[in-house]
Amino acid sequence: MAANIVGAFKPSMQNVVKTSKILLVGAGGIGCEVLKNLVLMGFGELEVIDLDTIEISNLNRQFLFSKDSVGKPKSHTAKESVLRFNPNVNINSHYGDIMDTKYGSAFFNKFKLVINALDNKRARSHVNRMCLSCDIPLIESGTMGYSGQVEFIKKDFSLCYECSPKPVPKDYPMCTIRNTPKEPIHCIIWAKFLFSQLFGENTEELVSMEETEDETEEKLSARDWAKANNYDGQKLFKKIFYDDIDYLLNMRDLYKSKSIKPRKLDYVYLNGVKSEYAHEEESKILTLPQYISMFIDSITSIKEKLDQSKKGYLNWDKDDDDFMNFVVASTNIRSVIFGIEIKSHFNIKSMAGNIIPAIPTANAIIGGQIVIHGLRVLEGKYPRCQTVYLRGMPNHKGEIIVKDKIVQKPSPTCTTCSTEGHIVLAVNTFTFTIRQFEDLVLRQRLNIVAPDVLIDGRMIISSDEDDELDLYSKTFSEANILHGSKISVDDFLQNYRVQMLVHHKMKVSDEQPEFELFNNSDDVDKEDDFEQEEYDDECHIDGEDHKFIYVKQEESSNEEMANESDEDNFSSVEEELEETELFVDAGAVNDASETCIKITNVCSITEDNTLSIIEEQSAEVPADSQDENNEDDAKDNFEIEDDAKDNFEIEDGAKDNFEIEDDAKGDFEIEDDAKGDFEIEDDGNETNLELKRKAEDNVDTTETKKSRSSTDE
Amino acid sequence: MDSEITNNGGDVGKLSKDELKVYDRQIRLWGHDGQKKLSSWNVLLIGMQGLGAEIAKNLILSGVHSITLKDDTNISILDRCSQFLIPPDSEERNRAKASLANAQKLNPNVTVTADIKSIEEEEEDFVSKFDVVIATECFPAIYRKINENCRKHKVNLYIADVFGFFGYFVQDVTFEHNLYHEIFPNYDQRSNVSENRPLPYYLTSALLRFQCESNRKPVPDNCEKDIAELKSIISSFEHITNIETYDEYLGELFCEMSPTTSIIGAAVAQAAMNTIMDRTIDNFNVFFYDHVEHRGQYFKL
Repeated sequence: MAANIVGAFKPSMQNVVKTSKILLVGAGGIGCEVLKNLVLMGFGELEVIDLDTIEISNLNRQFLFSKDSVGKPKSHTAKESVLRFNPNVNINSHYGDIMDTKYGSAFFNKFKLVINALDNKRARSHVNRMCLSCDIPLIESGTMGYSGQVEFIKKDFSLCYECSPKPVPKDYPMCTIRNTPKEPIHCIIWAKFLFSQLFGENTEELVSMEETEDETEEKLSARDWAKANNYDGQKLFKKIFYDDIDYLLNMRDLYKSKSIKPRKLDYVYLNGVKSEYAHEEESKILTLPQYISMFIDSITSIKEKLDQSKKGYLNWDKDDDDFMNFVVASTNIRSVIFGIEIKSHFNIKSMAGNIIPAIPTANAIIGGQIVIHGLRVLEGKYPRCQTVYLRGMPNHKGEIIVKDKIVQKPSPTCTTCSTEGHIVLAVNTFTFTIRQFEDLVLRQRLNIVAPDVLIDGRMIISSDEDDELDLYSKTFSEANILHGSKISVDDFLQNYRVQMLVHHKMKVSDEQPEFELFNNSDDVDKEDDFEQEEYDDECHIDGEDHKFIYVKQEESSNEEMANESDEDNFSSVEEELEETELFVDAGAVNDASETCIKITNVCSITEDNTLSIIEEQSAEVPADSQDENNEDDAKDNFEIEDDAKDNFEIEDGAKDNFEIEDDAKGDFEIEDDAKGDFEIEDDGNETNLELKRKAEDNVDTTETKKSRSSTDE
Repeated sequence: MDSEITNNGGDVGKLSKDELKVYDRQIRLWGHDGQKKLSSWNVLLIGMQGLGAEIAKNLILSGVHSITLKDDTNISILDRCSQFLIPPDSEERNRAKASLANAQKLNPNVTVTADIKSIEEEEEDFVSKFDVVIATECFPAIYRKINENCRKHKVNLYIADVFGFFGYFVQDVTFEHNLYHEIFPNYDQRSNVSENRPLPYYLTSALLRFQCESNRKPVPDNCEKDIAELKSIISSFEHITNIETYDEYLGELFCEMSPTTSIIGAAVAQAAMNTIMDRTIDNFNVFFYDHVEHRGQYFKL
């Protein structure tokens, strides 16, 4: 090991390397590389934590694992593996979630340096807060495809992870998913909902209609109907792709004046069909009979898995071939019905699983740079730890590894690392509940783990279970939280505090989100003037146009996040940054993505008749309406972060963004065939589009950057 | 060259189901065609110290058809800074042989072989058996010979070395840029180096010159004298005025340090794979990783 060789290091560093205790969070693509490098350098005291187990698709880059270790915890396996080339290092491995309360400040305080090799935003911001709280230097990292980055975070010295806002996942309106799909992604989301409706735990997302059993007149949910029919593949095929479509076509005016209208499948397939498909390559487009066969076969296999499941339900997983076949077949059969382009198994898997491509070399470069940064940090040379970017292709100077000119200073308005920071919370105080506040704002958006919430000195949410406040069902106004109220939120575990100012805001348009966060009150009003073109056309279903439902491909729960999942497929670009910022682990996926729908009542509600409108609505909905099941959820509002219009632009702009990447790559040709193959980029995959959109933003600043940095050198 | 997968008995030009699963995340980047090209190429890797281990790791994980690990030298204590393929208790003394088992374990789909014959003893056309040759840990005069042979037989060549935290590689895949000894002409004489070159170029030239004079790389147990010697070589270059800017580099040029073997090993492996997949970055021929500036940059020299 280098630290045992006199002269390999400067004498001052030799002991630092031997004795500095380092925490590595994540033993995936980057984590394996970092652990190898740390051990070879002679770092003697290491701890590594990961909540994941090894998957076969990890093996192209996570070289500390082999086929024999599939299914085993990454942290323990990585430790055993590196001890084989250096048995003299003290490694403590944890198979667990870094967000678990047992890894509190007492745990973090043991370390001289923390290294993040994570694949999701929640855990990244949690570690960020813990390191700020304990004042421990943090190295943050991510890769995606050929690109990556390394960033140094130190309290009061550098930007923190949360100084720049990170994009949140995109939403799709539920009516598009249910009634008027236009893109393959709409059918894919529908297919995943169908999976969870038939086999999953969570049956909120209803896409298949209720059905009457012949013998009784009782109406059964699609799930119960399927059970009653013993998950007969052919019967399910008929119900979902014939009867449910008939139902849609019979809904009065649903497709009136719309270009989209389902076309019924030929009745020759009604009783199913047999067509061999197993031999086909995953990148090939199959025939309709093959997809029908695949659908029916997948039901049979999934039923067996359901029967064996101890929990009594299944969680969709892109790495399960039967689950994946179900989604591919369902997606494409529905696409045929709605006249949407058919996609290959390979491409649907990319989109359904939100898969980010990953290669060993990018992880190795980032893993090397992390350790070089780590040595600089331990030397105390903080100004030398500028953010470093790995580019897929050289820039005009031939660089593929590029650093920022300086370490960026903390943002004075950051709500995480600045004491001055506060947030304006814009909500309808008449409908927004305390439970929504805790679940959607505090836990989901702000990544708070154990919130204590005070309003003007009065506690409304407590992290202590013994405090029985029980205000969850109350709306803000009922709890006397009004326009101008100051809420102070405290997370004891993260030592994270944030002040919020409540801004009452009525909904003026249908697609407004349940809540919005702003840095100051002036911004709240700017948001008010936005238009709603697409949605008017999209979602006025006759007699129900006051019902509007959003779908969100959402981040997974903590345990599920284990599985390489990553809601965090984003990059964010600082004005000052030279390259696209990536906080994505290569290979990261949103595979656990329990795609979830929430329902939003979106008619313009006036202050005094909120509840009555909701009731009225329930009454208006026909008893046999597909949406009936959603009544109860109507109040269960859901935030929609980016305005709806934005979503559509992204979809439509996919092609443009595609071009942009070309530009971003500068004068260097290439890539054509790589791109051709990487079709997910072109297909409305949120992640990639998001990244490209950022790349686009980045292009604008790159040039000025270049000129600035060249004068500086 | 066909793209038959021998190890899995798959159809010609087809990847096995097992390979598709393992390579899934990278196929989503470079496509099935890219993967098929990779799985048809045969690589010769010369030198199995830390840098060689990294290059081998990346190419084997990515799924080339075969890789030959060629090294006639024995394990040294310095390997422990970065050679993670050799077990610390290895009874096998030859570097290539000692690396073989762990290298193969990285990916059973790749044919990995160890070759302990010195490259100097091989026939001139030896390189023509391979699609890519990657040479590390040789003396500059050997690199020159390898480059001339590969150029003659139109075999893609990469030459890479790591000195402490610093590293570089040379690429000859279009067969039209300068040859190795033309890029670094001063390696065998204290002649002048070109003007207006980046710092890493002069550093590399000095290191190559040092290797020729001392018949070895700079070593940690002789670090003070070696630093002084390097400094005097650099001072002898006509265009160097700011010799003190080299000080930080000179203190960190010993052994092959794993962060930089990691970076150079990945950069050279990726460059080779880009060539295999017809997306060569062909307007450059030299790459330097400058660890002080955190900069990895291509040049045409």
